[in-house]
Amino acid sequence: MAEVEETLKRIQSQNGVQGIIIVNTEGIPIKTTLDNASTVQYAGLIHQLVMKARSTVRDIDPQNDLTFLRVRSKKNEIMIAPDKDYFLIVIQNPSD
Amino acid sequence: MKKSSLVFNSSSRAMNTSVAGHQVSQSSRHKWNFAGSQTRRNSILVGGSNRKRNILDRNANQAPRKPVRVLDNDGNDVTPLPLYHAEPGDMPSKPGRFLDEIFSSSESDQLKSTSSFNMRSFGSFLGSSLPSSLSTTASMTKGTEDSVPKLDIPIIPPPPCGQRKRDNVKQHVTEEMLDDVVDVCLTETDTISLFDLPPLIFMSEDADDTKAIKERNLQYAELCKNRTGNDKYVERSMQTFSGAPKEKQIQTDKIVMVDEGTFATIWDIYDSFCDQNKNPESEKANNPETTVNTSKGHEKRGEKSSSTLSIGSTIGSLLEMETCSLNAESNPELIMLTESFQHSLLVMERSIVANLFQPKLAAYRQLPIIKDPDSTVKPETEEKSEEGEESSSSPTLERLWAFSCELTRGWNITCMVWNKENPDLLAVAYGDCDSTNQKPSLICCWSLKNPTWPERVFHCHSCVTSLDFSANNPSQLAVGMYDGTIAIYTVQSRNNIHCIANSSECSKRHLKPVWQVNWSKQEITLSGEDRVEALVAVSADGRITKWLLCSNGLECIDLMKLKKTKNSKKKAVESKKKTEHMGSALTPGLCMDFHPTDSSVYLVGTWEGLIQKCSVANCHNVLETYQNHFCPVNSIEWSPFSPDVFLSCSSDWTIQLWKQECLTPVLSFTSAQRAVYAVRWSPNWSTIFAAINGLQVEIWDLNLSILHPTIVHQAAPGVTVTSVLFSRGTDCVLVGDSEGQVTVYQLKNLSVGQGKQVTKAVNT
Repeated sequence: MAEVEETLKRIQSQNGVQGIIIVNTEGIPIKTTLDNASTVQYAGLIHQLVMKARSTVRDIDPQNDLTFLRVRSKKNEIMIAPDKDYFLIVIQNPSD
Repeated sequence: MKKSSLVFNSSSRAMNTSVAGHQVSQSSRHKWNFAGSQTRRNSILVGGSNRKRNILDRNANQAPRKPVRVLDNDGNDVTPLPLYHAEPGDMPSKPGRFLDEIFSSSESDQLKSTSSFNMRSFGSFLGSSLPSSLSTTASMTKGTEDSVPKLDIPIIPPPPCGQRKRDNVKQHVTEEMLDDVVDVCLTETDTISLFDLPPLIFMSEDADDTKAIKERNLQYAELCKNRTGNDKYVERSMQTFSGAPKEKQIQTDKIVMVDEGTFATIWDIYDSFCDQNKNPESEKANNPETTVNTSKGHEKRGEKSSSTLSIGSTIGSLLEMETCSLNAESNPELIMLTESFQHSLLVMERSIVANLFQPKLAAYRQLPIIKDPDSTVKPETEEKSEEGEESSSSPTLERLWAFSCELTRGWNITCMVWNKENPDLLAVAYGDCDSTNQKPSLICCWSLKNPTWPERVFHCHSCVTSLDFSANNPSQLAVGMYDGTIAIYTVQSRNNIHCIANSSECSKRHLKPVWQVNWSKQEITLSGEDRVEALVAVSADGRITKWLLCSNGLECIDLMKLKKTKNSKKKAVESKKKTEHMGSALTPGLCMDFHPTDSSVYLVGTWEGLIQKCSVANCHNVLETYQNHFCPVNSIEWSPFSPDVFLSCSSDWTIQLWKQECLTPVLSFTSAQRAVYAVRWSPNWSTIFAAINGLQVEIWDLNLSILHPTIVHQAAPGVTVTSVLFSRGTDCVLVGDSEGQVTVYQLKNLSVGQGKQVTKAVNT
């Protein structure tokens, strides 16, 4: 557990990382470093996106599954590690 | 049916149909009244009976119209006035032949007959007359082309003779007459047949059943004839009671309509199919709430989906599955402790770091550096970099990045080694080789994918002096320590025990520092396939030992003992050594290297400055002794390209290039007047090697110059460079220093030719 916390701290302290959100399957954020409003917004929107992406991947080949999703936008990059039980979302601005 | 208007000529007849009605008002009972009505009827009847005659005459000629005059008993003229007075200019009506004939003929009969009649006779007369009329019509229809008899029903316009009535009344009504009781007799008229449409069915004379049908028709006609007065037929009336309506109301619950929809996605079908094949009982046990019908798994998922979300049924079905499994892991702590979460964290961290280090890593891997189009890099820095590029056209080391973290800050790096299988994995040993107190040291395994934090961290009780990865088992790392311990670590998994073997229990273990450990592939074993790897260590106690991994640890076999050689030239040294001789006849070995192709031959550099070529097979005698250094040989390495060439460096400030056959060095390099601690051949180019001498890193290119190093890179002030390592496949060199940083440099502008052998360079 300590190791996990340490890793999260390390990630948070990396250059340009704006926030980390961990969401469970119901869409409820477990752990977050952003404010509540943004967290809820991210959680809800990204949930839908991941479901759609996963559906797409599995439609093409049902034995395949989504492992990582990166959304690069003008201002930042959202990286999502989806899993059966949770979503791990990190927002980073790499040019900071 | 043709309608025709019957125009009664007022002069011809006067008919007052309302006479009967107004007869009521008349005080005197006149027989003629009754007769009048009867007259009318009679006239109709007569007309009916005479119809035949009339009709027959019809086509022949028109009956002359005589003016009709009706006289009662008293001789009054009670000729019925016409109801309709033809206005001048009206359309002349078609002769209402029927009634015309009736009246024309009836008057003649009437005049003859008396006024008193019997009702019954009327009835019989009527009854007798009707069938005849029917029969006549029936016969008529057969004969005539025109099936529809021309029946002219007079349209009797509303009598404009109201005035006339009144006029009549005015004449007869007196005061006395008004008070009289008048008997009114209401009778029912017989049925007036106004329209008779006989059956229109044409019978073709030739049809088969024509006869039968005709017979039946005749029978029916007979029946109707016999019906009146026949005892078989009784008139009866019926009354049906209509039930009283009753209102009744029902109330039902509103039937709620729900729209359901589902997507049958490919993966949904696949999942259902797979779940079907799984154990259905276990599923039921786990999910008591959801009833999984295995035969209809797909449709069930569709139904499940509708009940959860409205976003989309694909999401719904997934979520439903997930909520089922969520019962087990609702605790966020548990989620974070799962293996997959840690893996996700790892991947995430690497992605983040890769974003940051992307240009450097790209340069390392010799990929084109993609400039981030969205980055907000200030133009000043861009200019600087451009300038930098222009100025340096000479060979130089460009710093890419450094492996460093909080954990390793301040440590002295003693050894660095690449993993044999995974070229991104680097093992670095940190420690202070202090003979006085044994300080614990650190081994970190770094990955190129994350230069900010090591993948593995091992703590050792003693200062690590040497590392080597195994080639057969790439996860095994051999560690040689300052206190003589040899250990084997496994770097595979995070949580398991790292150290799998330790030589601390071996009886023949080294008691002096192990300066180098090497995995080397030995000769072909009995099986003939896998070449067994032997861990060979050289130690300060002068022994070269081969270690084997047994069930209870490491066991060693002595390969060689480094005996001290008698050096007649240096007696002073010898005398010193003689005293030491008493203690041990062995001299410390500092470095060793196996021949790249012939793995039974190895070189050992000793404390005395001798380089001895030994063989695995022969453990007593040395094959060759190369003597040139007079200080301890710090490092020795065979050239990866030329099989006979090797390099050695020593604390006597020199680097020597040897050929195997020649007992004297072929070339000697000196640059700075400091001890050279390490020398490494470049695995990519045959003529390049690197050397470190404490304060600087030197890159020598034998093609360019054998007198001076091509690149000299000064270390930061206060920092000593302690270790150097080339990386295979790229033009980078890693330099470890005393601050715990492993800096990755890229060799720039080094014009190197490939494939040139050192020997050629040497010979020229």
